[in-house]
Amino acid sequence: MHLKQDKKLSIIWFQGLTCNGNTHSFLNLENLEEFLSRFEILYHPSLPSTKDFLAVSKCILECDIFIFEGTYDPLMKRNDINISKILKYYAETSKYIIAVGSCASFGGVFKASAPERNSGLIFNENEKEGPLLKQSEKLINISGCPIHPEWLAYTLRMIAKGKEIEIDDLHRPIELYSNLAHHGCTRNEYFEWKVDTNNFGQKEGCLYYKQGCRAPMTHASCNKILWNEVSSKTRVGTPCFGCTEPDFPRQKLFSTKTNMSIPEDVPIGVPKRSYLTMAGIAKTFHIKRLEGKLIDYKTID
Amino acid sequence: MARITKEERKTNIISAALKLFSEKGFYITTIPDIAAKVGMSVGNFYNYFTSKDILAKELVMYISEYLGKNIREINDKEISTEEKIYEIVSMYFNMANERPEMIEYFLRVYLSNREVFGDGCEGMICVSPFVTEMMMFFNDGVECNELHDQDFFSAFGLFMGYLGGMVFLFGEKILPEPLEWYKKSISQNIFNALKTR
Amino acid sequence: MITKQLIDQIEGEASIFFDIKDDIVDFATISFPHFRGIESILENKNALDALVITPRVCGICGHAHLMATVRALEDAYKNAGYQIELSEKVKKIREFTLIMEIIQNHFKWIYLTILPEITKLTKAKREQTSLKGAYAASIASKAIAVFAGQWPHSSYMIPGGITADPTNIDVLKIESYVDELIAFFEKESIGISLDKFLSFESCKDFNNLDSDVSYLESSLVDLNMNEKGFSYDRFLIVGKHEFTKPSKLKQTRPFGIDSKYINTIDSYSPSQTSYAKNAQYKNEFYETGPFARLMATNLPIVKNMHRRYKDSAYSRVMARVFELALLLKHSKTLLNDIDISQSSYSACVDISKITASGVGIVEAPRGPLVHRLNIQNGIIQYYKIITPTQFNIGSSTKSNLTPAQKSMIGCSKKDALFIFRTFDVCSVCTTH
Repeated sequence: MHLKQDKKLSIIWFQGLTCNGNTHSFLNLENLEEFLSRFEILYHPSLPSTKDFLAVSKCILECDIFIFEGTYDPLMKRNDINISKILKYYAETSKYIIAVGSCASFGGVFKASAPERNSGLIFNENEKEGPLLKQSEKLINISGCPIHPEWLAYTLRMIAKGKEIEIDDLHRPIELYSNLAHHGCTRNEYFEWKVDTNNFGQKEGCLYYKQGCRAPMTHASCNKILWNEVSSKTRVGTPCFGCTEPDFPRQKLFSTKTNMSIPEDVPIGVPKRSYLTMAGIAKTFHIKRLEGKLIDYKTID
Repeated sequence: MARITKEERKTNIISAALKLFSEKGFYITTIPDIAAKVGMSVGNFYNYFTSKDILAKELVMYISEYLGKNIREINDKEISTEEKIYEIVSMYFNMANERPEMIEYFLRVYLSNREVFGDGCEGMICVSPFVTEMMMFFNDGVECNELHDQDFFSAFGLFMGYLGGMVFLFGEKILPEPLEWYKKSISQNIFNALKTR
Repeated sequence: MITKQLIDQIEGEASIFFDIKDDIVDFATISFPHFRGIESILENKNALDALVITPRVCGICGHAHLMATVRALEDAYKNAGYQIELSEKVKKIREFTLIMEIIQNHFKWIYLTILPEITKLTKAKREQTSLKGAYAASIASKAIAVFAGQWPHSSYMIPGGITADPTNIDVLKIESYVDELIAFFEKESIGISLDKFLSFESCKDFNNLDSDVSYLESSLVDLNMNEKGFSYDRFLIVGKHEFTKPSKLKQTRPFGIDSKYINTIDSYSPSQTSYAKNAQYKNEFYETGPFARLMATNLPIVKNMHRRYKDSAYSRVMARVFELALLLKHSKTLLNDIDISQSSYSACVDISKITASGVGIVEAPRGPLVHRLNIQNGIIQYYKIITPTQFNIGSSTKSNLTPAQKSMIGCSKKDALFIFRTFDVCSVCTTH
């Protein structure tokens, strides 16, 4: 969809059942002021807005981009009005709908608040099901718990420039989600040589085999577009929890599910046999440098 | 008389080498011995294998791939884990009967002369095709809830140690009955030990 | 006549139902209409999963929830007979990231909530400064992320320590962020050096300043907020940290406390179902948060402010500014005292071996955050969360007002709406 580039696009940021995590993550965007100056913020829960919530909930506003954060609960009311009514109005009248966060994309953490009725806007976990199915064509999912501000900034800038955003089967922008969280982890060498970390609180070792790291199975750019421009979970020894995927949150999060010591999930697209062959061979070798502490490195053999 | 292909020649060398190594032992068997058994010159032999150590390692990989291929066929079948155990045991015992030199080589040369295989066959590299298939077998068995979850080596040691032990006894001519006679009871024991509780 | 007022631009949604007589608020009830049921979501989950789930109670104070969870789990370990010893380094890093979250919260509250509201009330023609708050908060978030991987929603604290193993590169980088924050605060917010600000002895010391904070201070006086918004003038601090003195205070007199006396009761909200519960200490209501924490310190400016203006809306607002200053200073001290060579994590027995109850309490931006759990063989049987907004902004009957309710009685509706916000409302936390 190509829009006139001289008129500022208007945005409404609306919340369902949420923790506000995406709102606060977005406030961390670098050069936020400059970014916001390119848009007209009709309503946002924290930022200066030209309209108030009463007006938004009465469904009398026209907006170009409707952003929804939080799980969809069909029984939820905002300002005593059923949100399904509010959603339907903006879904039909806006030009773009952006589901921000895993709750809005797939149901996320708060699907469990009422699992029989809660869902994302067009996906219920990984089933195509939700209140805005009819408007799927104009809906983009930016999944994550929370999202990185750059992911939303990218999406809005692309829209503002009239550029087509290519999306995957889950309606996520391909340019953002084509990398795995695994790409760029500073512990990659340990993954390659199957040197598992024996415990937390260490710079060394891979977190995939015992600590439940989902990075090789998760589409996210966290180790490429760093969090807060400085870091990521795996870089500080916390396993990736796979929060951009429809099955988030999983259970027994800090441990890896194995069947007879064989990881149940192997890197996406890698046949289990291939993985086991490579892993088996790598595990055979004991590379002294990789088994010692990083700071104990020697320059002379 | 049809020309023998290079592949067939290689296979002949492998068979001959396996037989000689298991009968006479690794150190006593020489390259001229093997070349003579195949009916080729020593010079020509070196076109196929550049040294005795290299030959020794390639033999291990050959056996592994052979075992791996057979176990994979069993793994891919749409049968229960209990049935798969029987088929693996059966395949292994059949091999012991029909191609005893393969199992003999594994037990009496590979496992017993680790110093030969230390460089280039560390750990389980050379037996990887076989071990990977066993991993897939165990993985699938737990995933479909027929085997209980436990450490891989505990299960692997039970399965393979048991089979190797039976074949060793067979080789020493201690078993009163033919090997096939033991297939059913061995398979049952293995399944009972590994199945879900 | 009861009128409903929807409160906007707070974390989540809330409504106040005013009972106005002769243009004055006679009574008000507060309702928080949404409910997410995190406590039941956690039942039957593996105990370590709580480290990922509880931060999702709240986007602005999720880090406090993480710390409350890890404290509760470590308490359960202790009660099961496995005392966990944390290195000083771990304690300081955890406290540092907690403080940084409070700092980002206060910056946002001052610039995104309070200053815009004050500007509306004074009708002053001022340049909009909201985004200064977002900027400062983003720097504080960076400081957290160097230790914790990301903000919001990190899970870098685990029973036994932290997942990270920082180097001096990390600590020095964080120090430069803190320096940047302090410089920003001095130049953009207070208009004077941090140390001089913290040595203010009376409110008169604001007279010569020309800054966002001095504008805030003088506007509060112009709007007579120093004569309104009084509550019970009693305070509660529960979380144990280097920067707090757990106690209850009746005016300025401190008393000891035991967290077992914290209880909750159903809220009274006849006009609309509210999912929040009221939190009390020994069946009485206490104010919590920055003002309470500062009342327990010896800061001369706070003593002076309280002597003159008691627990008015003025004091409540300015207390947050002073806490922001204090915490910025304290964060530097913490960083200086971190000894990188100490251990980041000490291995403990697997959680599946733990059957016990545990309590974890931290001072979150708005006051004490209490997590009470019971686990059996590492599985959560029971998880209860009490948030600071439940202490401050409960809804009760006329004869037993909560601190927020009490503060609004006797004011005009316009003033009451402002006074309500001085408690820094977090509706998402409250309806977890």
